[in-house]
Amino acid sequence: MDLLERYLQAVKKYLPWHRQDDILAELRANLESQLEDQEAEIGRPLNNAEMERWLKQLGSPMQVAGRYQPQQYLIGPTVFPTYWYVMRLAIFWMLAVYAIVIAVQIFSAPDPTFSAVVRAALRVPGVMIATAAWVTLIFAVLEYTMTHYPGKWPATANVLAEWSPGSLPPLERGAIGRKKPRSFATAVAEVVFGIIFLIWLLMVPGHPVLMFGPGEQYMHLSPFQLQPVWWQFYWWAVALNICQLGWHLLDLVHRNWQGERVAQRIAAKLLGLIPLVVLIEAPGQLLVTLKNPADDLARYGSTENSINDGIHRALLVVCAIVVLQAVWEIGQASLASYRKRQAARP
Amino acid sequence: MGYSMTLAENVFENLRLELRRGCLTLAVLAQLRQEHYGYTLRKALALRGLEIDESTLYPLLRRLETQGLLASEWREEEKRNKRFYSLSPEGEEIFGKLLEEWRAINAAVNSILDDNQIL
Repeated sequence: MDLLERYLQAVKKYLPWHRQDDILAELRANLESQLEDQEAEIGRPLNNAEMERWLKQLGSPMQVAGRYQPQQYLIGPTVFPTYWYVMRLAIFWMLAVYAIVIAVQIFSAPDPTFSAVVRAALRVPGVMIATAAWVTLIFAVLEYTMTHYPGKWPATANVLAEWSPGSLPPLERGAIGRKKPRSFATAVAEVVFGIIFLIWLLMVPGHPVLMFGPGEQYMHLSPFQLQPVWWQFYWWAVALNICQLGWHLLDLVHRNWQGERVAQRIAAKLLGLIPLVVLIEAPGQLLVTLKNPADDLARYGSTENSINDGIHRALLVVCAIVVLQAVWEIGQASLASYRKRQAARP
Repeated sequence: MGYSMTLAENVFENLRLELRRGCLTLAVLAQLRQEHYGYTLRKALALRGLEIDESTLYPLLRRLETQGLLASEWREEEKRNKRFYSLSPEGEEIFGKLLEEWRAINAAVNSILDDNQIL
């Protein structure tokens, strides 16, 4: 009997406080009746081991008391789909705004550094958690008020019921089953234009007019000259174009021009970073210098600094955009591959 | 059971509990057309072949009472205070509707099973 009392005492601790005495009295009456029946059946009181076995079978005190709690949700099943949708949107937009603000802060600083980018990246999980916490808090309050004061929310009950099929958004480009594969003509055109572009690119050093047009004359008259690091940039650009042309040709040879080519796109983005990094890492960040510093430094020195600084910042921004695009495409490709695997599961 | 349960067993257990949940409520309401306190109700249901855990039945009685389907009163019986439950007038009405629904579902499922020669 002592064990039953201890059991009931433990159950009481987990019961809703305003009803615990009433529930406990009822539970006690039921369990005592059950105990009496069991003892009458065997003709003696239950020994300690039998008592323990019986109580164990009833369930742990926390489990038993938990069944008396009203069913509670932080976010209930009615609100959850909206909550999840808003959560994803909020995190996406918060990250977008954060990235823009941080980019502006970093690139407007007098000396943008790589460590500032790393510090900003390390703060991303905190930003995401804070956003998720706020969205959850708002929806938890919404859930609570909708559950406890249903009359105050007459409109919300009708929101889901009052949708119209006519208001559905139009089919998106590339929607399932609608994506048009690349045609043979497109694949051939890519190769032909790729070859023309490569020839043009290779002719530019001998005939700068092909790139600069009439402005080429100004290059001769200008007090500035491009640094040799641009040659590295140029040859990397040529190499990447040859790679891309090679890929397109291989696609044609293997009759694979209709494929998705996600890996190629991502690889092209990542390899495209190389020439940018070559310029960013130019010694002293000097991309343009004076032809005759002895004569022109006083007059054009500050212009030279501004040009180099401007190009350097622009390259950093382009680099950041390319990285973001690559991350986005990798994320999309991983998601598509995950969905494909899930769909293939039996 | 418990931690060694396989995924298939877990799925089955969840579906079984889901299937039982509605049936238990109906059985309890049916049995409480006659007054009972928790333990005797449990015994009466078990006698008809429907075993229910104490930890499921007693909170279920509370819930049904909160919803207005059951009426209860404390009374002394065999020198012990017990809480006796019975169907309230509102409970009678809802029980009638649920019974109708149950019979329709039962007939439909039996017909489907018959057609597929499962029975």
